[in-house]
Amino acid sequence: MRNEIRHNPDFGVIQVTFDQPGEQVVTEAGAMVARDNAIQMQTNLQGGLGAALKRKMLGGESLFQNTFTATAPGQTLWIAPAPEGSVQVIELQPGMEIFLQSGAYLASTPGVQLDTKWQGAKGFFAGGLFLLRAHGQGLLWFATYGGCHTVDVGQQYPGYICDNTHLVAFSQGLNYQVQRLGGMKSLFLSGEGVVCSFQGQGRLWVQTRNPSSLANFLHPFRPVKSNRS
Amino acid sequence: MQTNILYRPSQSLAQVWLQPGESVMAETGAMVGMTPNVTMQTQAGGVGKGLMRLLGGESFFRNTFTAQGGNGEVLFAPPLCGDMAVLECGMQQWVMQSSAFVASSPTIEVQTQRGGFKGLFSGAGLFTLATQGQGQVIVGAFGALEQVNVDGSMIIDTGHLVAWQSTLQYTVGKSGGGWIASFLSGEGLVCHFQGQGVVYLQSRNASEYGQAVGAMLPAREA
Repeated sequence: MRNEIRHNPDFGVIQVTFDQPGEQVVTEAGAMVARDNAIQMQTNLQGGLGAALKRKMLGGESLFQNTFTATAPGQTLWIAPAPEGSVQVIELQPGMEIFLQSGAYLASTPGVQLDTKWQGAKGFFAGGLFLLRAHGQGLLWFATYGGCHTVDVGQQYPGYICDNTHLVAFSQGLNYQVQRLGGMKSLFLSGEGVVCSFQGQGRLWVQTRNPSSLANFLHPFRPVKSNRS
Repeated sequence: MQTNILYRPSQSLAQVWLQPGESVMAETGAMVGMTPNVTMQTQAGGVGKGLMRLLGGESFFRNTFTAQGGNGEVLFAPPLCGDMAVLECGMQQWVMQSSAFVASSPTIEVQTQRGGFKGLFSGAGLFTLATQGQGQVIVGAFGALEQVNVDGSMIIDTGHLVAWQSTLQYTVGKSGGGWIASFLSGEGLVCHFQGQGVVYLQSRNASEYGQAVGAMLPAREA
C-alpha cells in the first residue's frame, strides 16, 4: 500500500493506492472522499460495542468506523478530515504508542489498535483532554486544525508547554502535567486556558489554529433571539 | 527577539526566540506553546491603558512572556486563518488595526490611539495602535497579506487594512460620491491615504466574513 498526503497544510487529503487485494484501511465514519468502485466498504463497531462506545463517549470519535478492503491491485481511496487543516501520517512499530487528542483520529491500517486511556482526574479537569491511545503496527493518520507543528522534546527542547486547545498528539516517553499559567490574576484574565507541560523524550504535534477561536469569533455575529414579551 | 513565521500563508505560526531575560508582549490567548523556562505575567498596564485597549477592540489585558535562565521560545498564532508579518520599528513607525496586533518586543510602546471622530465614525472597528521605539511588532491578517507601496494617494476599505507606516496621512470617509451611494455600494467606510509609505492589506474582511457566516447560525440568547 502506498499513501500520499497532498494539499497540506490547508486542505490535506490522503490518497491510498493499494498494491494487493485484501489490503485494508479503517477510517473514521464520513472520512471517505472517493474510492474505486470495486473497493469493498464495511461499517462496523471496531472492537465491539463496548470499546466503540467508550471511544465515542471519551475519545470524541464516532461510534462507527468503516473498513475499506481492496479487491485488486492499483485501487485508490481518498480520505479527508471534516475541517480545513493538515493531515499527518505515523508509521507505528511495536512498542510505540501515540496519544491523540479527541477528534484527531482519521484513519489507520488494521494492525493499529485504538483505545481510550483514562487520563484520571488530571484529564478530567483539563477541559476535555481525553486521549485516544494508538499502538500496534501499521499506519496511523490524524488531522490537525490549521498547520501541524512538531516539537521534539528531549532533543531539541528539554521540555515544552502547549496550550490544550492546540495540542493534537504526542508519543510515548512523554509525561505531562496539566497546569494553568501565571498567578491567580492570569487564571481569569490572561485568556490562556489550561496548558500541558511535557517532559521526557518524544514528539509533540501541535496545531496552529483551534476551532474554538473561530467559534468565539463567530458567536457575536449570530442573530439574537427576540424577547418573548 | 528573533521571529520566524512558519506555515505561511494561511496557517501561519510565529516562532519567537528569546534570549535569557528577554520578553515579548502578546495579545491574550495568542500563545500556542513555549519552552518551560518561559514565564507568563498578565498585565493591564494601568486601568486607563487597559480601558483604552478595550475601546480599541483588544482585550483589556496583555501577557508578557519572559525567558528565565536561558534561551526561550514562544509560539503565537492569531485566532483566524491567515498570514503574519514582522514589522521593524525604529527608523519607521507603524500604525495598525487593533485586531491585527499579535505580539511585540517590550522595547516598543504599542499605544491605542484615540480614534476620536475618525475611530467612532469608522464603525468597522478602526481603532488603531501606534508603535513607538525600537523593536519589532508581529501582526496577523485574516487571509493573505498584500504589501502595497502608496505614492500619492490610495483608497482602502477599512476592513481590509492591517498596518501602515506612520509617514502616511489618512482620513476615514465614505467610498462613493454621497453617503447613500456609499452605503448602497457595500463598500462602507474607506481610508483615504496620502503621502508615501507601505500599507499591508489583508485579502479578507473579518466582519464581512462574520456577517456572511454568522447570519446562518442559530440565534443566540440576547
